[in-house]
Amino acid sequence: MRSGPGGRSGGRGAAAGRDGKTGGRKKFFVRRRKVCKFCAEKLEYIDWKDVKLLQGFIPERGKILPRRISGTCALHQRKLQTAIKRARSIALLPYATD
Amino acid sequence: MRLYDIVVLVTPDLNDDDATKLAGEYRKILADGGANFVKEEPWGRRRLAFPIGRKREAHYVYWQVEAEPATVAETERRLGLSDQVLRHLAVRVDEDLRRAAKMAERIRKKTARRPPRPPAAPPAEGASAPAPAPPQAAQPAERSES
Repeated sequence: MRSGPGGRSGGRGAAAGRDGKTGGRKKFFVRRRKVCKFCAEKLEYIDWKDVKLLQGFIPERGKILPRRISGTCALHQRKLQTAIKRARSIALLPYATD
Repeated sequence: MRLYDIVVLVTPDLNDDDATKLAGEYRKILADGGANFVKEEPWGRRRLAFPIGRKREAHYVYWQVEAEPATVAETERRLGLSDQVLRHLAVRVDEDLRRAAKMAERIRKKTARRPPRPPAAPPAEGASAPAPAPPQAAQPAERSES
């Protein structure tokens, strides 16, 4: 089992499963609707000191989780971005890890 | 007067008392400049997410102050001069907080305007499958490319 491509296959299949019409390939993945965490929980102010919250948007590599994966709305992603960058500048979060 | 978040990272070479003493000097600069301390939280010795100048830890000191921009600028300048201070950060937060409060208010009003919410909107998952797929076909055998 190759771990890399395996992880991505969920995303690939999910595109076909949209509105029930599966294309040529028989793939039945149900796409979970992604919702912006901050909209759902009505968190308007994203605190850059809240390391626990921000860590959820930092995958292993240390990069900022893209919107297309986390489902965060544009407005909140922007705020999240500045919050993460501020936290990084005082070493609360890593710039990169390997 | 504006609201600022200020964080100072003091070297781990100093012990806790000396670190607070050092931070106290900068606190005094702010206080002399007429700053109002809203929050004062020493976060204590914390592990850094990455090494700064071969140091893996630092004493974190956090203040939330209401101060004039000039006072904060002066404090930041002095912080930058010190070798004992690894990093520092001062950001203005009053505007962001105000905007957030406004947004929260708007959301609250919006939800209040139509109080009887429709009983549980149909879940998105159910809509995606008009005919239940035969379970055998649900998991196609793993296609291995190349």
